[in-house]
Amino acid sequence: MPDMVSLDRAGPQQRQFNPYSDNGGTILAIAGADFSVIAGDTRQSEGYNIQTRYAPKVFKLTDKAVLAVNGFAADGNMFVKRVRQRLEWYRHAHAKDMPLRAIARLIQTMLYGRRFFPYYVYNILGGIEEDGSGAVYSFDPVGSYERESCRAAGAAQSLVQPFLDNQIYFKNQTAAPGTTHPKHLPLQEVLSLVIDSFTSATERHIEASVGDGLEMYVVLARGSQLQGLENVPNVQEMTTTSDGERIFIIRRELKKD
Amino acid sequence: MAATSVYSSPGFDFSNQLRNNFLTEKGLPLPKATSTGTTIVGCLFEDGIILGADTRATEGPIVADKNCEKIHYITESIRCCGAGTAADTEFVTNFISSNMEMLALTHGRKPRVVTAMTMLKQYLFRYQGHVGAALVLGGVDATGPNLFTIHPHGSTDKLPYVTMGSGSLAAMAVFESGWKANMSREDALQLVKDAISAGIFNDLGSGSNVDACIITANHTEMLRNVEMPNQRVQKEKTYVFRRGTTAWKKENIRDLIVSEDVTPVGTEAMDTS
Amino acid sequence: MFLTRSEYDRGVNTFSPEGRLFQVEYAIEAIKLGSTTIGIKTPEGVIIAVEKRVQSPLLESSSIEKIMEIDSHLGCAMSGLIADARTMIDHARVTAQNHSFTYDEKIKVESVTQAVCDLALRFGESVHDEDAMMSRPFGVALLIAGVDELGPQLFHTDPSGTFVRYNAKAIGSGSEAAQAELQDKWHSKMTLQEAQILTLRVLKQVMEEKLDHNNVQVAQVTPTKGFEILDETKLKSVIDLM
Repeated sequence: MPDMVSLDRAGPQQRQFNPYSDNGGTILAIAGADFSVIAGDTRQSEGYNIQTRYAPKVFKLTDKAVLAVNGFAADGNMFVKRVRQRLEWYRHAHAKDMPLRAIARLIQTMLYGRRFFPYYVYNILGGIEEDGSGAVYSFDPVGSYERESCRAAGAAQSLVQPFLDNQIYFKNQTAAPGTTHPKHLPLQEVLSLVIDSFTSATERHIEASVGDGLEMYVVLARGSQLQGLENVPNVQEMTTTSDGERIFIIRRELKKD
Repeated sequence: MAATSVYSSPGFDFSNQLRNNFLTEKGLPLPKATSTGTTIVGCLFEDGIILGADTRATEGPIVADKNCEKIHYITESIRCCGAGTAADTEFVTNFISSNMEMLALTHGRKPRVVTAMTMLKQYLFRYQGHVGAALVLGGVDATGPNLFTIHPHGSTDKLPYVTMGSGSLAAMAVFESGWKANMSREDALQLVKDAISAGIFNDLGSGSNVDACIITANHTEMLRNVEMPNQRVQKEKTYVFRRGTTAWKKENIRDLIVSEDVTPVGTEAMDTS
Repeated sequence: MFLTRSEYDRGVNTFSPEGRLFQVEYAIEAIKLGSTTIGIKTPEGVIIAVEKRVQSPLLESSSIEKIMEIDSHLGCAMSGLIADARTMIDHARVTAQNHSFTYDEKIKVESVTQAVCDLALRFGESVHDEDAMMSRPFGVALLIAGVDELGPQLFHTDPSGTFVRYNAKAIGSGSEAAQAELQDKWHSKMTLQEAQILTLRVLKQVMEEKLDHNNVQVAQVTPTKGFEILDETKLKSVIDLM
């Protein structure tokens, strides 16, 4: 009788539980002179499946700070929850809202605190600095951060960031003789770039997909003009007072395929 | 009778597994069996067959082609939807199409759908799944309407309504709830459109437009882009660059007209008579 | 049932029937034995000054340290049991560093004061079997001076963990007379120099010895230069002006 093939010949096998997953989506923020735009799509996916067509990735933290979170959605939501808790504790302890740069540093310490079991998220923080300037801070999952004028992160980062580099930083564009490129773009221009970034990413990106809906938060510095925001369709104010910084949200539909 | 057997163990031979694991460890991963995103369907109706497909082609997470054609020509009354590796589906359908034409010429009559199906499965089986084509084959021949699915390893099914590709579950859900025997042409076309749309909207591997093909005994109608639910919205800005935007390191203008002086050397002119 | 006072002054966390915590009250009394310490707030900054009791001609007066830095924008002067203050200042320093580490901004004067006062109430705190961290209240009062986004501020803390903001405050043995004098002389538009001179004048009035640069110490916190202890030359020039 011939020998049977025994199964234990394969040797030891290791199986592991993987607590992370990638839920796709893209986020993006651009700082202006006295405003900041923070945007994200609303699709949440896993593999080729859409889990939901509306799961916000962009969150208002204070009247002058908005946080966009991309990557593993469960970690992202929990992280935002904890940041908000810390902001509230700070408000009680120090009798003021946390300034933007303080939030940025807090996010670093929170992310680095999980250096060896990280939150699987890319954060982009946008808002208004204490001096009234628009600001964007971007983070890696373990807390390395820097202040920038624009940043895209997530599934379509590789598509959007080069476009932003060209249109915001004017990379690979030589200015007309005798002129220089502007340091900051006007709000209308920025909103157009954000919308075009997302509609274009939707066209050419699938798996970790971008689509369904777009939420753009606009943070205006204290006392600055609406800059045409009043004429934008589907705009909604998120702040109750008009004497401090003001936050608006603009919602748009994106393609659903 | 515990002596070493001279017989090899029955069933499949896994002797290469050890080698393959070794190669994987050394950094030579096995070729990935890719089932590229697609939704393709086919169903019977009272007069024949309707095939359907989306038009998205992907390369990993990137949309390579927003409006590609996935319903391939086999013969005038046989068509084949392809999912999987684009090169394989295109080549294999084109190859079988040629052979079917040869067959038609040889025998002087229309070849049958089963013939195409058999040729395809034999070809695919030979390559043990390495030719990554997942197909929905449909057509009408002397025996009537025929509809098959062919998997990359060569297995086939003959069913009244079929779906394949990453959007197959979404599309099949529509068929399972809506398909009936002997549907009218309009109803069947609508069902196919709905099935493909389900794939387009619910499967990230599928997208863009709906293609359909209605095959009846004496007519084949290819409905390219029968539905276009995902037209690109108008861009907010126009991106035109000023002349001179691109920087250059040096400029070098060369004269393409080469002036040349000809000095005749001998005294006698060439004999041109 | 009446119990004598002596039965309630043993436990640090037992109220008397009149609702008093004697140990805390005694601790506050201890401060009145300490050297006089004065703080004055002006729009330009805060001045803090202490009397250094040089008990022996052999004592090196520079080793008496009653004004300490908490952070670059925060200073502290003390009266009472100086050793106790060390614990509090250590805590304040850690709190201030922790804050700038976590938030990339300077801690507010009130916040650091609050942190110190939280510590002041830790006496008698013990969980189940564990030993209490502190056996008694701190026997020291602090004048915490600092500058933050709300401007120059001066806080007073006492062993009960209470803290109050002052325009000008005196603590220690000569505090009663000194406080009366400050009340008389302080005004809201004082310059920094006027405040320097006033602190020394008030100290001079309550000191037994003749005031000189060896037996007083003056520090200031300003928006531009932060915390600084006046060095000998600066101190001498203020004494000369006085």
